[in-house]
Amino acid sequence: MKLTVDERWDLIEKISKETVIFGVYKHTVKDAIGELTVKPLTGIPIAFAVLYGFWSFFGSFAGFFTDGFFVKLFDEHWLPWLQDVFPGGLGNWFYAIMVDAGHMENGILVASDNCFESFGVLTSGFFLAIGVVLPAIIAFYLILTLLEDTGYMPRLAVLIDTVLHKIGLHGFAIVPTILSLGCNVPAVTASRILETKKQRFIMMTLLAIFIPCGAQLGIMEEVIPDTIGFVLLYLFTGYFILGFILHKVLPGKSPEILIDVPPYQMPMLRDVAMKLWMRVKGFFKIAIPFVLLGCIIVNILYLANIIDWLANVLSPVLSGWFGVPKETVGPLIAAFLRKDLAVAQLSAIEMTKYQMITSVVLVSIYFPCVATFMMLLKEGWKDLLGSIAVLALVVFLYGGLLHLIWILLGVA
Amino acid sequence: MKVLLMGHPNVGKSVVFNRLTGANVIISNYPGTTVDYTKGYMKVKGKDFTVIDVPGTFSLEAKDKAEEVAVKMLEEEKDAVVICVVDSSKIERGLYLTLEIIERGYPVILALNMWDIAQDKSIHIDAEKLENILGIPVIPTIAINGKGIKDLVSKIKDATPVETDKILEKVGGKE
Amino acid sequence: MEKKLSEMIYDEEGIVKRIEGGLRERIAGMGIRVGKKVKMITKHPMKGPVVVVVDEARTSLGLSIAEKIIVEVKK
Repeated sequence: MKLTVDERWDLIEKISKETVIFGVYKHTVKDAIGELTVKPLTGIPIAFAVLYGFWSFFGSFAGFFTDGFFVKLFDEHWLPWLQDVFPGGLGNWFYAIMVDAGHMENGILVASDNCFESFGVLTSGFFLAIGVVLPAIIAFYLILTLLEDTGYMPRLAVLIDTVLHKIGLHGFAIVPTILSLGCNVPAVTASRILETKKQRFIMMTLLAIFIPCGAQLGIMEEVIPDTIGFVLLYLFTGYFILGFILHKVLPGKSPEILIDVPPYQMPMLRDVAMKLWMRVKGFFKIAIPFVLLGCIIVNILYLANIIDWLANVLSPVLSGWFGVPKETVGPLIAAFLRKDLAVAQLSAIEMTKYQMITSVVLVSIYFPCVATFMMLLKEGWKDLLGSIAVLALVVFLYGGLLHLIWILLGVA
Repeated sequence: MKVLLMGHPNVGKSVVFNRLTGANVIISNYPGTTVDYTKGYMKVKGKDFTVIDVPGTFSLEAKDKAEEVAVKMLEEEKDAVVICVVDSSKIERGLYLTLEIIERGYPVILALNMWDIAQDKSIHIDAEKLENILGIPVIPTIAINGKGIKDLVSKIKDATPVETDKILEKVGGKE
Repeated sequence: MEKKLSEMIYDEEGIVKRIEGGLRERIAGMGIRVGKKVKMITKHPMKGPVVVVVDEARTSLGLSIAEKIIVEVKK
């Protein structure tokens, strides 16, 4: 027999009266901290401090291992050694795919001297995956896991609710958003914590377009350390602008936040370690094959002159509308597979600082990587088509806007 | 035979799952991470059990898609035994979910998890009496150190569906 | 005196009197029900959410949800 809500609570009160004795509850320090971090006056400054700490740790941890160790290992030892021993040598197509395609200087093909340029599967592929992306992903998930296991995330959700409510979401949307900064794939699944179809559509569209993943962030820290702040600001601004528009335009409801705010807990070392391991492993299962495959495909497209051909065809759009070199067509193709790979490839193209910013923004917003695409497809092809239509428009306008800004500033 | 683990978010449900199956599951302090369920296996006295860690939910009246997933999983497993994991220090709202599951006719075992935390907050639960009233096995557990888990496993076979009327009678009926 | 949960001020306590239909089922599982004592923990500015305590469990509700809950408070 099913009870109504009131009957059920009546029954519970009766059961509770007979079986439970509630003593006097003593408030603890944990409760006090719990309250301080959820009240706006104290909570918001603390939230800024926490997020800033997150970012600083991410940058310095990844930088420490990448610059301090992996760059030297790969550029000074691994690359020269492979160039020495790998059969074929410069000009050979297999050598180009696996080790180094080289580049033209005054009409002569010369060897690359670093793993950003060589673009071989064994050189750039391994270097990006292990040397750059791995430290970034570990740093990211370590902090994220700590924030989750202490119970901070729901508080962050309450604090940011007012802002996210303006774009048709509510505070809890911060969970998929932050997850997405690690990898869009689990973030798409996490969008299910939102109540309505409208909210989930807004969330997934915003994630797919504006949130760069951890791997991409790691590479960006490496190749555009001076301008990464601006790129992120531009992307996050886009997140709010598009969110606001979608909220106004789309039919459907945007229910408000209704969540449990659990007490703080001391994270258990074993759990944190386990979760970190599972996440890093999960990430690499998705990432490694695509990074390596990406290197192979891009190399083949180059060798077959398809990229050159596409660059000329798309030149009016790329240089005309977006103001970036037509060679960026290569990275844009790579971005279908992996955004991190695409950003790394951009660094090998000759261009101004401002063109670089535009290119990185374009790579970020223009299409979700294939793993994210499959995830979105799983959530429903109709929504995916809608997201892509929105995306196409956003790329054209928001990417073009950046070019316009450079023109107005006189730096284009 | 299938065992479903159900409960609110943050009640140590995934830790219970780990204890039961020895598998590695992502444990999260907020709903959302375990929106995709986790499956594990255990053997009790030569019998194989499939254990499913259902996403955390506050009620069977799903309020978002993640909770819908939880309810759907319950509905799809008509013959499953449900272990309802609750936070002992928030026993009343735990009982709410427990009753909802009992009402749907499932054999339920109630795990009063975080028993130590309830004690610290001077909340005292008479587990035996609760077992008597509900007519289902009720076991205090502390999943993080494994206390009560063996008991929990040995009681799986004792779980039977209970009529809500029987529970109402025990506490004096409907007024 | 009766007022909406959304109108309670910081630290104020009250007893839930009525919950608008539909919402009652949605929040029942979180322990918020008629006859329960609630205490306001914080209220965010600019139509932001509130956080209340019921049975030592903290729940955050959007303002328009909190408006649907009527509480009896001491004057």
